[in-house]
Amino acid sequence: MDAIKVLIYIAIFPGFLFQSVFSTYLEWLDRKLYARMQNRLGPLYTGWNGILQPVADILKLFAKEDIVPASADKFMFNLMPVLSLASVFAAGLYLPIWHLTSYNSFEGDLIVVAYLLAIPSFALFLAGWFSVSPFSLIGATRVLTQLFAYEVPFFLALLTPAVMAGSWKIATISSYPWTSGSWWVIPVQLIAFGVALLTLQAKLERVPFDSPEAETEVVGGPLTEYSGKKLGMFRLQKDILLFVGSALVAALFLGGFGGGIILGCIQLVLKTIFVVILLSVVRAACARIRIDQIVTFSWKYLAPASLVQLLIVLLIKGWKGVA
Amino acid sequence: MLKRLVKWARVKSPWILHFNSGACNACDIEILAALMPHYDLERFGILLKASPRHADVLICSGPVTKQVAKRLKRIYDQMPEPKFVVAVGACACSGGAFRGCYNVMEGVDQVIPVSAYVPGCPVKPEAIIDGVAKLLGKLQQSAA
Ligand code: SF4
Repeated sequence: MDAIKVLIYIAIFPGFLFQSVFSTYLEWLDRKLYARMQNRLGPLYTGWNGILQPVADILKLFAKEDIVPASADKFMFNLMPVLSLASVFAAGLYLPIWHLTSYNSFEGDLIVVAYLLAIPSFALFLAGWFSVSPFSLIGATRVLTQLFAYEVPFFLALLTPAVMAGSWKIATISSYPWTSGSWWVIPVQLIAFGVALLTLQAKLERVPFDSPEAETEVVGGPLTEYSGKKLGMFRLQKDILLFVGSALVAALFLGGFGGGIILGCIQLVLKTIFVVILLSVVRAACARIRIDQIVTFSWKYLAPASLVQLLIVLLIKGWKGVA
Repeated sequence: MLKRLVKWARVKSPWILHFNSGACNACDIEILAALMPHYDLERFGILLKASPRHADVLICSGPVTKQVAKRLKRIYDQMPEPKFVVAVGACACSGGAFRGCYNVMEGVDQVIPVSAYVPGCPVKPEAIIDGVAKLLGKLQQSAA
């Protein structure tokens, strides 16, 4: 019985099926909001208000011819899309939706998820590297440079709620306000929330941190040589990363998805949408910054800000311990 | 069933690649105007892609100079099947103002197969959208 249950978790909810469907919805929402903020309408004729647009894009890509360039390393070229897709799927399974995911949650799964979320960036770098074309090589080195910029502030930001809750388990961290009744931790962690949002934006390579795939400079970045199925996989991977990243930020900083199975699912959907809306606003409001500016910005402002946040949390914890 | 689904996806999500094969630039400006928020081609799922590997529809403007012909062919070969070509402007259709010049090929169809012609010098953005829409309509009617 338990085996069947776990299979259902992995395959349907909150596993592959739910992640794929919901993440395409999120992409639609993101595109629509982005279009509205540019005084456009966005996708309109594919399904209700264009809601099926991302599905159509991915289906079309899967049905297209699949070219492997002669100069590319075939094995790595084919492996990378699968690897990155698999890692984000796996990371999504650790999202703490009430007790549904308790079968795989353990002390320290936050680190596992952070690791799983770092793999797509490396896969992207290797994908660009092994396509062997000038554009994809430049894009790949930019991916790696950007990784150095945002990864440490991202981890520091994730550390804050972990220190606050005194645990490395995502489920414990996200249910901390529910179990201890201390909802004031949410406003206290605002700085880390902001840092996590911006670094997530950089992880997703969206404006203003999209210099790895700046199409006006390096064509398609690391994905220049990808076509058909593999490009479709990368697109799906990006959508799911958007979902998993937003849901993780919502779980850690916005009080998680507690309060029973139905309330938990509703909260998962609403809080994730809230985070995606914030990300879309950032995307629409900014212009692309150069790769060196990204590094400077991360290390001059984001990393110190998350350190300050950590200090605040530690002081509060110490003060509470004394009192 | 699967074929119909794929056809639906194809019609709903044409990604375009813009290539200037020796145009006087007026047509290119009109193509860009068609992509601006005023006409908002994303309504139809049309996105401008930078890499030929990602694109479904190649939009060509210009009469194809002898120098650019080889590159146009290479770009076309780099696109994955199924692919379509739209010739935008009188030049791209037949050579237009440059017809008879010693250095041009007189039309995109001299080099690669063309699916739709949009005449005009320069073409109106509305005409480009109409041309692409007609191409999609044709695709919709074609047997899978
Ligand atoms: S059709 Fe006219 S406007 Fe367009 S590229 Fe040719 S000469 Fe220029």
